[in-house]
Amino acid sequence: MPTELVMPHEAVERFFGRLIDEGPVMGPRERVSQPGFIHFDWLSDAADLRLNYQTTTIPPKKAFFPPREVLFEFELTDPLKITAVREAESFTLVGVHPCDLAALRMLDDAYAREPAEACWPANRARARVIGVDCMPDEYCFCTSTDSCYSRAACDLFLTPIERGYLVEVLTPAGEDMLRVSDVSEATDEDREQAEAFRREKAGAMTARLDATPEELAEILESEEHTELWKEIASRCYSCGSCNTTCPTCFCFDINDEFDLGLTGGRRMRSWDSCQLAEFALVAGGHNFRRLRWQRVRHRWYRKFVYLYRTFGRPYCTGCGRCSRACTADINIVDVTNEIINRARERDRQGVQG
Amino acid sequence: MIDHDAVPPAEDITRFYQPELARVIGKWQMTEMMVLLRLQPASGERLDHAPGQFLQISLPGYGEAPISFCSSPTQTDSFELCVQSVGNLSEALHDLRPGDFVGVRGPYGHGFPVEDMRGRDVLIVAGGIGIAPLRSLINYMADRRRDFGRVIIVYGARNPSERLFVEDVEAWDARDDFETWFTVDEPDETWTGMTGVVTVPLREVEIDPARTTAAVVGPPVMYRYVAMELLNKQMAEDDILFSLERRFKCGMGKCGHCQLNDLYVCQDGPVFRYTQLIGRTEAIEVWAPDEQKG
Repeated sequence: MPTELVMPHEAVERFFGRLIDEGPVMGPRERVSQPGFIHFDWLSDAADLRLNYQTTTIPPKKAFFPPREVLFEFELTDPLKITAVREAESFTLVGVHPCDLAALRMLDDAYAREPAEACWPANRARARVIGVDCMPDEYCFCTSTDSCYSRAACDLFLTPIERGYLVEVLTPAGEDMLRVSDVSEATDEDREQAEAFRREKAGAMTARLDATPEELAEILESEEHTELWKEIASRCYSCGSCNTTCPTCFCFDINDEFDLGLTGGRRMRSWDSCQLAEFALVAGGHNFRRLRWQRVRHRWYRKFVYLYRTFGRPYCTGCGRCSRACTADINIVDVTNEIINRARERDRQGVQG
Repeated sequence: MIDHDAVPPAEDITRFYQPELARVIGKWQMTEMMVLLRLQPASGERLDHAPGQFLQISLPGYGEAPISFCSSPTQTDSFELCVQSVGNLSEALHDLRPGDFVGVRGPYGHGFPVEDMRGRDVLIVAGGIGIAPLRSLINYMADRRRDFGRVIIVYGARNPSERLFVEDVEAWDARDDFETWFTVDEPDETWTGMTGVVTVPLREVEIDPARTTAAVVGPPVMYRYVAMELLNKQMAEDDILFSLERRFKCGMGKCGHCQLNDLYVCQDGPVFRYTQLIGRTEAIEVWAPDEQKG
């Protein structure tokens, strides 16, 4: 049982203001050029922080796995000179929803699998994380993916209550952040209000998957050749928005950039998308997922079968970002339920016939 | 739990992505499209690869690409890579001169299980540039000849001018203890050997299926037909080894580019037993002409 404290409304801005004074803080804020659009970005004023926000378009994984990052710089001298490039400064990532916390732990595990990748954990080690609870919209389905109540990967977790936030202190780093703050012991009344918030959250979830993760994996394994993949693919544009907005996608590309002077440059790592036609293309023009339905199917299998079988949980947090972002209105919950229901319907007919 | 005090130095973090330098010590134009590079690690340390493994070769500014070793690990002072001119990087690699440096990292992946193949007959089936990784295995067996039973080499090329490693091929042909079968699809006036795709000579090869391991590398379309031929010869599916090509970006099972159903070719392969590929629908390119636009 973690320590539970209460941070009253009037102390919240002071608390985050002090964090900002101590070092860089990234959190949900309005995009300067686009009022009303909330995204994760660096904060210079605690008043800009929006802790009560709906799911962002781009998930906070970008704090640790940027869309584009430099791996090393090179100079075309003789001999060639290669210099590793890494950000080293500590920072604090605040306002992370439970689904996105769950995603951080998934990427911890995926990148740590031997042979382990080192950029992700090094960036994770630079940051303290503060989570915050939220209310769902019609795309959210985190109760189906076991991430509705995630406290993974965070040092403090805030739940809105009447007099401010109930603060769960989950690590020594979290305790340290609160050392000069105006927090007090939580009462049973505070705890009951936080519990009521969580009940309301789960109750407000309108979207859900019609199968458990294990049932879904088994159904997908039996539905590799369903016509449904082609039906979905007939609508898909292969734009990759689903991958770009996904908090658990971790594929990447590696490319070089020359400086204008052509005397040096850098090797870059950048987000990639398995939905793009060239993702599985090899030299000589062979493409192992040339057809759009193969790529669409691959995404479902990776989330709900391959990584589920490897790590014991689906690599989907129920955040609904892919459905919100889809340019063809392909909804992950609707499609998944269609697969589940067709498979069950066929099984019923098979039993009867 | 994350240790907030333990951020390692930058060069340790990017170590995996960072190439070591290797010097070009020899270069041969094998065909119009193919160049053979002989390289030596600048550190003087051996890469210690197994036949069938690959490495990532890079030229700063041009990028990085995976290429299979084509020299035997018994050749200890240097290693060789066969580079096909297909893009910016490979064209730049074609322009290298002895003394130039390239970046290398690796070796990666599971190569041919040479320890399991000890004492067995080995049937090599090479199509086109598939001969490159198999040359590593063949020359390894040549240097460890007593460790293996019969060595049978079936090599098919599109036409005589696209045959690779002609000197090696002649040396294999001249050995009494190698059985060689060479064919081309499109013969010219110089060609006196067999004509037809690689399954044509393969059909005539007689083997003891229980004693034989087959090592097969070629274009994706070849695998299905070679597998049928080998199963016709009563070979066990577990004794048929296929090496698959994918566009590895990282080599550590993370970037996702080489995923074959639930497998990562860079980690679980690139050499697979046929048993591992049965039922995995992405093992070979799907040929579906009616679904081009799917």
